[in-house]
Amino acid sequence: MSRTAVITGLGTVGPAGAGREALWQALEDGAARTTELGPLGPLAGGTNDRSPWLTLRPEVRWAGVVDPACLGSWLGAREARRMSRPSRFAVAAARMALEDAHDPSAGADGGWSVDSDDLGVILSTTFGPTAVTEELLEQILLAGPETASPFLFAESVANAPAAQVARLIGARGANLTVTQRDAGPLIAVRKAVAEIRTGRSERMFAGAVDEATAFLQALLDRLGVAARGSGGAPPVARPFDRARNGTVLAEGATVLLIEEERAARARGGPILGRIIAGGEAFDPTADRCRWGTGHALLGRALADILSRAGLAPSDIDLVVSGASGSREGDRMEALTLRTAWTAAGSGSLLPPVLAPRAVLGELGGGHLAAAVALLGAVPEGRTLARPAGFQDADPDLGVEPFGGPLPTGGEGPFRILVQTVSAGGPASWLVLETPEVAA
Amino acid sequence: MNTPRAQTFVVTGLGAVSAWGWSRADLWRGLLSGRTAIGPLDRFPAEEQRTRLAAQAPEPPAGLAAGISDWNALSQAERFAVVAALEAVRQAGLPPTPHSPDAEAALPPHRTGVFFGGSTAGMFETEETIRALLAGESGTPITPLTSQPLDNPTGAVARRLGAAGPVVTVSSACASGTQAVGLALDALRAGEVDVAVAGGADSLCRLTYAGFNALRVVDADACRPFREGRQGMSLGEGAGVLIIESLERALARGATILGTCLGVGNSCDAHHMTAPRADGLGAALATERALEDAGVTAAEVAFLNAHGTGTPLNDASEWRGFARALGPRAAEIPLTATKASVGHLLGASGALEAVASLLCLDGRVIHPTPGDGTVDPETPAHLVRGDALAIEQPGVAVSTSFGFGGANAAAVFGPAREVAGVGRAAVGEEVA
Repeated sequence: MSRTAVITGLGTVGPAGAGREALWQALEDGAARTTELGPLGPLAGGTNDRSPWLTLRPEVRWAGVVDPACLGSWLGAREARRMSRPSRFAVAAARMALEDAHDPSAGADGGWSVDSDDLGVILSTTFGPTAVTEELLEQILLAGPETASPFLFAESVANAPAAQVARLIGARGANLTVTQRDAGPLIAVRKAVAEIRTGRSERMFAGAVDEATAFLQALLDRLGVAARGSGGAPPVARPFDRARNGTVLAEGATVLLIEEERAARARGGPILGRIIAGGEAFDPTADRCRWGTGHALLGRALADILSRAGLAPSDIDLVVSGASGSREGDRMEALTLRTAWTAAGSGSLLPPVLAPRAVLGELGGGHLAAAVALLGAVPEGRTLARPAGFQDADPDLGVEPFGGPLPTGGEGPFRILVQTVSAGGPASWLVLETPEVAA
Repeated sequence: MNTPRAQTFVVTGLGAVSAWGWSRADLWRGLLSGRTAIGPLDRFPAEEQRTRLAAQAPEPPAGLAAGISDWNALSQAERFAVVAALEAVRQAGLPPTPHSPDAEAALPPHRTGVFFGGSTAGMFETEETIRALLAGESGTPITPLTSQPLDNPTGAVARRLGAAGPVVTVSSACASGTQAVGLALDALRAGEVDVAVAGGADSLCRLTYAGFNALRVVDADACRPFREGRQGMSLGEGAGVLIIESLERALARGATILGTCLGVGNSCDAHHMTAPRADGLGAALATERALEDAGVTAAEVAFLNAHGTGTPLNDASEWRGFARALGPRAAEIPLTATKASVGHLLGASGALEAVASLLCLDGRVIHPTPGDGTVDPETPAHLVRGDALAIEQPGVAVSTSFGFGGANAAAVFGPAREVAGVGRAAVGEEVA
């Protein structure tokens, strides 16, 4: 008998705050939350005024950062002191997802124990715990390797957030950290689904975590990737806009609790959505830090993934795109979608395309969180703002970011395709659907 | 016996870069020698550290770099990954470019996936650049900083091979390489790829060298896993790559079968960020899950390729894990620890040790574990020492990897000769 994976909990931490409602407020007003970085402000980057970020002399010093106060309900001060910022984000989001999945009517423990051999964790991170790595490198390079802090070293590894989630929640199942840039969050979810479908785990935490540091921001600026504001104004990401000029770095964590559907229903857990398909592909024409020209190849891969799942492009009601305002990246996002839809036949029109990174920023799995939140909002008919910075659609792309009342779809489940086409070549997809027709 | 899998997946190509050299032949000769490649480190200064040793890859042989077009733009870890991958696809008889005139034999781009583990990627190159920035050296190029994302070695391999299927990097500290093999096996079983390029690559860098020194888990001398009085680990670098495909596909194209990839198991200690569980529960869970995934029992294990870092805590925890998972047989099963020969390759260690395990299965001998001293009575393993040990009874190899944060993984590999009358015929046939 096949095992289906369902999402029963969503935890989200980002520049908009913590929790689903904070996320919704951001999506409904369409405005990004960014903060100016400085040597004495957030994300100063290490403790030394020789921090290398200053030597990069960034022109853009804005990023979407997490207000630490929003973590207070989820993380004790003593716990937080022993963690890097990404670990704090991940643990807070995982605990939020657990609470989200909790069925109060089932008793104090929600009808199931979370200290479990078959509870696993698969998180994705693009850059890992960057701030502690920067600080550790400063120690080693400036004061000598013998001054290296064991604590910083332990927290500098990419899998520290996943390990902290497992340690604090008692998850002895598979524990993996995917590092495939922006494509990672969807890959992490897919791998978690595989754990459940194969029967190796009953429930999994899956998602993404990343932090923004001043050094990272400065590097993206020097590489010409960061969006620029005019006249000293904060930069704005303009996905699919003719005048888009880059992305806005942001940080946060998105953690889903994914369970085997029958087990979740048996315990009376809330079903936020089902994960019905997904896949990955790679554009080998991309170089190490840019996008390539292989949209035809990626579009064909997407069409194949849908086809293998018994879906046609016309079955998709909404696309949540990873477009973030990058000139090359948004082009690849748009052309990949158009290729897949064209392959399905001339009568197949692209559904509305949402670009939540305009509001939520580049990292931390915000667009995955948005997709899951949207599933739950379909019956409510909420209205999404078009991103505040959007002005004119890029005529070369044939896609513009959606704003307006959330479409309700037709008969049957509402299906959302989530897509990310990342710099460096990797691309990933997930198809989610509302749970109405679940058995 | 557990339920056997419906489909068998076989290994048709192996590639390796290690302190013994830039090929699997170098690795195999070094492993069989019973000596260690751990020696003085000269990649960067280490005067103030507990140890000044590492298993550092030698300079590449003349002509190797010339055959790789963008060699100078690649980080050390990317070079290791690319060289090992090219060696593996060549052995598998798969031209390393999708533009081969022999389209039937080429890697099928959409059906080829690359699954790699690693933990530092271009950190060594990043350190050099940050050092220059901190020193205020004007005109410091920042391009080397782009080598830092952990997926770079994976991407370098995928681009070189023209792979257009799933490309996935896993960075779960020292469990990464074995987890990458597991992701590859999952993708094959799910029918998402026809050919999986699985492996890992990591290079020495100041950050990990200073970090492990700071944790006081390094041995001042070469590591001595499972020996009494062992003091800690020795760092290494390199890459290991496996080409995995279905038995049917391999037979149809006339490939040589080197071994089988039977199963992988994962677990987490959920205990501590750097120390393993003393009772070995996490290690046991990973081993038991790998055996179950492979459809074999403890009675069928021919040898263990232990994580065997040489730290007092890790080896003790691992041994207790084996005792839990394998029962009384644990002390009878021959055990080797590749790290005593090539150091700890961190995120790549599981991949290189998978290559070593398959070379052992193919050569029907278990490579010895270098190092002096008696076996620790607290870890009474049947440690293979001195000379290589012939594999007398057919069976599988279990290779384990345990990382920071309690990430545990184990993989099970089988010999080619047990696959329906195929594979190498001669005992001790030269494998490289």
